[in-house]
Amino acid sequence: MIEGVTRVGVNEWEVPVGYVPGMRVPGRFFLSEPLAQILEAGALQQLANVATMPGIIKNSLAMPDIHWGYGFPIGGVAAFALDTGVISPGGVGFDINCGVRLLTTPLEQKDVAGRRDLVDGLFHAVPTGVGAKSAHKVSPKALDEMMVKGARWAVGNGFGVPRDLVRCEEKGCMREADVRAVSAKAKQRGIPQGGTLGSGNHFLEIQVVREIYDETAAAAFGLRAGQVCCMIHCGSRGLGHQTCTDHLKVLEGATKKYQIALPDRQLACAPITSPEGKEYFGAMAAAANYAWANRQMITHTVRQVMGRMFHIEYESMPLVYDVAHNVAKMEEHTIDGRRTMVCVHRKGATRAFGPGEPDLPPELAAIGQPVIIPGSMGTSSFVLKGTQVAMDRTFGSTCHGAGRIMSRSQAKKQLSGKEIADHLLRNGIMVRAPSDNALVDEAPDVYKSSDEVVKVVHDVGISRLVARLSPIGVIKG
Amino acid sequence: MSFRELPHTADIKIEARAPTKEALFSEACNALMQIMYGKDRRARDTIELVVEAGDTESLLADFLSEVLFRSEVDGMVFLNADVHIKGSHLHAIMHGEPFDRDRHVGGTEVKGISYSGMSVTWDTNGYMLEIIFDV
Repeated sequence: MIEGVTRVGVNEWEVPVGYVPGMRVPGRFFLSEPLAQILEAGALQQLANVATMPGIIKNSLAMPDIHWGYGFPIGGVAAFALDTGVISPGGVGFDINCGVRLLTTPLEQKDVAGRRDLVDGLFHAVPTGVGAKSAHKVSPKALDEMMVKGARWAVGNGFGVPRDLVRCEEKGCMREADVRAVSAKAKQRGIPQGGTLGSGNHFLEIQVVREIYDETAAAAFGLRAGQVCCMIHCGSRGLGHQTCTDHLKVLEGATKKYQIALPDRQLACAPITSPEGKEYFGAMAAAANYAWANRQMITHTVRQVMGRMFHIEYESMPLVYDVAHNVAKMEEHTIDGRRTMVCVHRKGATRAFGPGEPDLPPELAAIGQPVIIPGSMGTSSFVLKGTQVAMDRTFGSTCHGAGRIMSRSQAKKQLSGKEIADHLLRNGIMVRAPSDNALVDEAPDVYKSSDEVVKVVHDVGISRLVARLSPIGVIKG
Repeated sequence: MSFRELPHTADIKIEARAPTKEALFSEACNALMQIMYGKDRRARDTIELVVEAGDTESLLADFLSEVLFRSEVDGMVFLNADVHIKGSHLHAIMHGEPFDRDRHVGGTEVKGISYSGMSVTWDTNGYMLEIIFDV
């Protein structure tokens, strides 16, 4: 382990105050021995930097998929007091409400095995990659509604059913959205991109449920062994990227105006109560809603394609859940025995609310929130459930995925797109991507094993394993 | 003038060198476009960009953010940029062509220009920058 860090539990480590100057609270992170060996010093420095921010409560936290980001580390979680705390785009990221959703189908693996036409059909129906434009160009008025209503806008316009909404974090809509705080540039980028996947690590996968670890929770979530599912991983596209860029500039000025001393420019922030802080939060919520509408539109396309191809009903493909893993939220948590509203930043971390939390749909209140953890291309994804331990320890948060271990430049030297596609096919996984390059960038070898990451969060108890899924068809963004 | 990719686990880190600050900015733009759209880019159309910012790093970030914006909303792929800088004011003439699905697919979408790890330095050999693109 990197020097200066103390082990405080089997999978738990502390970064003491003083690791970097100005820390207000200690840092805490969760890693197993194998994952600790590949921890980057830069990521730890970023975790410590977050602990210097005004109003931070208890700890600067990181999940076991921690890696070097910008501002916050990826896998970083921090909560701030509403009166003395700050809000920062560096704690959310450029891709506001990048997130994941999982749909089930009534199909079994034998129904879709070898169906290349399914992968091709989805690849053609869902615009993917750089420069992709939507088939559903919205009007400026409709765009505003998307940003105000989120997934509810999409369902209201025929891109889903009302039941989808209760199976989304925040019911697919943050009520704090303020479209006036979203720039004309961001809106211009948002108009042609509704229902598009994007590129990078975004994907659409046809998966099969391979293992059930928790029968009761799986049944409540609508999952059974052997079932074919579809996972969608994407975010707020250019609208979200531009919103982050625009407000980063405003908050840089605010950092100076409010005399906040920061060790990294990318942590630019403003008091939550300041006009600049409120505007960023309103714009971020609007972009988050756009992302929920976006994933809902893709869901609709998937249901149409699969419905046509396999003669199954639209309603027979219900949503398990939709989670955001790049977002800041106003949430009520128990701090020193008192229920208190705080501003939780999750940068590459997933909400994992335990049983009884108000945002859960009634049928899941006794179980806990479904947590969707995407694997890297060709590897397993997991469904977990949120826990009381997460509520007590991590502001109701857990990991978000696998976490990269190899740079893109190194991957290009070592791997070829065709080899990767052939290798995946030998393992029963059909893949379509806009290019070979996209495959190399996201090859399984460039990521930590997501198995090891979810094992840590399960063992620590900040979420518990429910099911494992593996892909049989991959559409890369 | 040249740029190269440096190892970075999560994102894309670029190092570029050029004899002048203007050429350095142009090289950063070249790197950005190559990552997104590949090397086969042509100069058929021209557009102008204007950016204002307080210091060199902000000017660079704002210039590249503006390139990203214009590229996306105008559907343009830029080959190169003639950059002119006067104090806090940047004016660029961008040479490029409309996005072509057959030739420009295969790159990685850049989500934003990060201030983390950004540096612009100079010595007797000229200017150098390091910058991280969030992908």
